[in-house]
Amino acid sequence: MGKILESLPLTIVAGVVLTIVMIIATEAIYDSQMSAPEAAVSDMMDNM
Amino acid sequence: MEMELFLIRYLHVISGIMWIGLLWYFNFVQIPTMPKIPDEQKPAIGKHIAPEALFWFRWGAFFTVFFGLALAWRSGYLMDALLLEEPNIGFGMWLGMIMAFNVWFVIWPNQKIALGIVEAEADAKPAAARKAMLFSRTNTMLSIPMLASMISVQNPIM
Repeated sequence: MGKILESLPLTIVAGVVLTIVMIIATEAIYDSQMSAPEAAVSDMMDNM
Repeated sequence: MEMELFLIRYLHVISGIMWIGLLWYFNFVQIPTMPKIPDEQKPAIGKHIAPEALFWFRWGAFFTVFFGLALAWRSGYLMDALLLEEPNIGFGMWLGMIMAFNVWFVIWPNQKIALGIVEAEADAKPAAARKAMLFSRTNTMLSIPMLASMISVQNPIM
């Protein structure tokens, strides 16, 4: 981790990777909060 | 109520620009430039510019979090965000609070040693400077998802 943080470009790349991980985690949390009918509608909308 | 929320958000954003602007100044400008500055000119940074920048930096961090928490509380989503039931803003809030903790309890104490603001043994200064730099870089890394989280409240990413 220290090697990454010593390099500014690698720090930025790590920040972008963390952003992607955060987006995936956010989606997973929202999906887990949906009720079954809501999830079915969401799947249908995604497949349209 | 609308005026109150506007004012709190405005102060949150102004403090945030002060904080993250200086964080990026340190990481994109000052730290990479220091090795190129002649030794006789370095005290201008270490004795004058850096202490002043660190003053606005740490208070910018404090007031960004203060007004951010006030905004979440007055808007009624503070607990939902902190418990990640509203993860869009919740992740950003947690990242911001971790970053502010780093500023006040790691970066600032170590910068005081590195810049000679407090008494310390000579060999403690390089170690303190390196620790402050690494935590400053950590905050730069965390600022990227933190800002994405803050913006995604208005414009969802997915």
